[in-house]
Amino acid sequence: MTDQPSPPIPPSPGAQGPQQTLAERLYLPEIAKGLGNTFRHILRKPFTVDYDGTERGDPNKYHVPRPGYRGEHYLKKDEEGHVKCVACFMCAAACPAECIHIEAAQTPAEWKNRERYPIRFEIDLLRCIYCGYCEEACPVDAIALSPAYNVVSGAREEKVYDRDRLLADGERYGLSLSRHHYRPDGVPGAVAPLSADSATATAQAESANPKEVQRPEETKAPETQDWQI
Amino acid sequence: MECVLKFIPLLIVFFGVLSVVPLLVYLERKISARIQDRIGPNRVGLLGPDSPFEAFGLKTGAKRVLGGWLQPVADVVKLIAKEAIVPAHADRYLYFLAPMFALLPPLLAFIVVPAGPDFPLSYHGPWVKLQVADLHVGILFVLAAASLSVYGLAFGGWASNNKFSLLGGVRAMAQMVSYELGLGLVILAAVMSYDSVSLRDMAYLQAGAARQLDDMGVATGFWEGGSNWIGNWGVWHQPLSFLLFLICAFAENNRLPFDLPECDAELVGGYHTEYSSLCFGMFFQAEYIAMLAMGALIATLFLGGWHFPGYAALIAGALWEQILAVVLGLACFGAKVLAYVLFSMWVRWTLPRFRWDQLMRLGWKAIVPLALANLVLTAALNLQGPSQQKAGHRTAIETGER
Repeated sequence: MTDQPSPPIPPSPGAQGPQQTLAERLYLPEIAKGLGNTFRHILRKPFTVDYDGTERGDPNKYHVPRPGYRGEHYLKKDEEGHVKCVACFMCAAACPAECIHIEAAQTPAEWKNRERYPIRFEIDLLRCIYCGYCEEACPVDAIALSPAYNVVSGAREEKVYDRDRLLADGERYGLSLSRHHYRPDGVPGAVAPLSADSATATAQAESANPKEVQRPEETKAPETQDWQI
Repeated sequence: MECVLKFIPLLIVFFGVLSVVPLLVYLERKISARIQDRIGPNRVGLLGPDSPFEAFGLKTGAKRVLGGWLQPVADVVKLIAKEAIVPAHADRYLYFLAPMFALLPPLLAFIVVPAGPDFPLSYHGPWVKLQVADLHVGILFVLAAASLSVYGLAFGGWASNNKFSLLGGVRAMAQMVSYELGLGLVILAAVMSYDSVSLRDMAYLQAGAARQLDDMGVATGFWEGGSNWIGNWGVWHQPLSFLLFLICAFAENNRLPFDLPECDAELVGGYHTEYSSLCFGMFFQAEYIAMLAMGALIATLFLGGWHFPGYAALIAGALWEQILAVVLGLACFGAKVLAYVLFSMWVRWTLPRFRWDQLMRLGWKAIVPLALANLVLTAALNLQGPSQQKAGHRTAIETGER
């Protein structure tokens, strides 16, 4: 860029072999240093979260994933209590693992807000790669990924979640009406929230400032923890 | 009858040592976890969701009590339940002999280690020795037994029909030869200083002029003084010996940073790669028992045996005070052994493994010359020492006079 000569390259420290002081060559002072280091770690609080793995233990010990953690899916409901999904197949099309299976049907006559809904909605969580594309693709914000990380089951069949299970999970996490999910740019979802409840939930989610990536230990416990299993 | 009675302390010591091993396994796992900022085993406990008693239909409640403390028991049950696999073309005879050879020598070392001062049955005796056998050759017996333990490793490596195992066995042999030389030289210096090879003599000399020694009417010379404090411990008389012994002890125990015979990263499991089930369990136990034996040896040689501050005053007192001194002494001896074991765990999870040539260089170019220098120094210092008096004392102890 300029005509100035580049500064001379300093000789690599390893060129003549490592330069060790006498204390280093004697091993023992260095070993004492290392022992002191590990001893400090013994006294420190363990970094590992004492994850209980059950629903029986101390709720304060539950691990709280940071905002935007992509756990198991759930389906949301509209304000009438019906499944919010309009069976547009966008999520199934976006899914790189092809793990979403939907069968659409005409809505009953009393459902005023749309024409189609899924009579069958299954996610094969053993195929799922938890990429979150379904959540991104959904035009009506009906599917989302919860922070539920305890994904262990006893049998393969248990990991295929059907519509009712996904809806019930949404209820159970208390997230049916909220948008908790993580957008790196902080842009809220494509669709404006439908009800007052979900509007406040959105505001809360945004005020939590999802842009900050925090270590789990530093994360303040969110105001609502009822989505925890 | 007498023969049967001789067996009782033997059984107490053997089963005592064997039953401490699971506790050490738990401690090692817990300490390694804490050093790495983990939690360690915390599930299998007396009560709580993961208690083994749940399997028997007992209500164990939601709260974990002593979580993780039964983990070693679970490990043992697992080891017993595993299938014992013998690899094809293995030398079956040597294959099953090897774990026994590994387990027996460290246990043998406990025979000659005095665990506490003589227990007084009344004020004027008789005294019961808290030691299985007071062999005159003492420390030499321990060395001989320790040398045998390499056969277990070598047999295991040879008989497994596995190249990794063989390499592990070969390494074990070379390492033992290199470091036993240093160990022997260090012990020689210590023996010179104590003027005795009996571990019992050594312990009594460090405990200072106790009432028993006064009764014998012998001066303890270089070691004189009813030391109420720890000033008479061998580590102050032989500091360099202590340091070298510690290093050699790690190598003898095949513990990190000298665990070349096992060397998980290079040799899978080293000499016990092909072992499973209880055969592996015996190797595993042998490692921890060898640690305990080394701890007992270090405690006796350098850390005053059972001696603790205030021992001299207690042991010179009334009968109940003497008994208290014995009990406290036993506890102190155990604490010293445990301290060594904890230290070696601490070192294990701090230091990386030595490379093979570094290990050899350290053994032959650092430990052996230093041990020789230490030997010469000790000899020179002891030239003016009152070894005559010490000799008189030794005879008194050997003949059992009081």
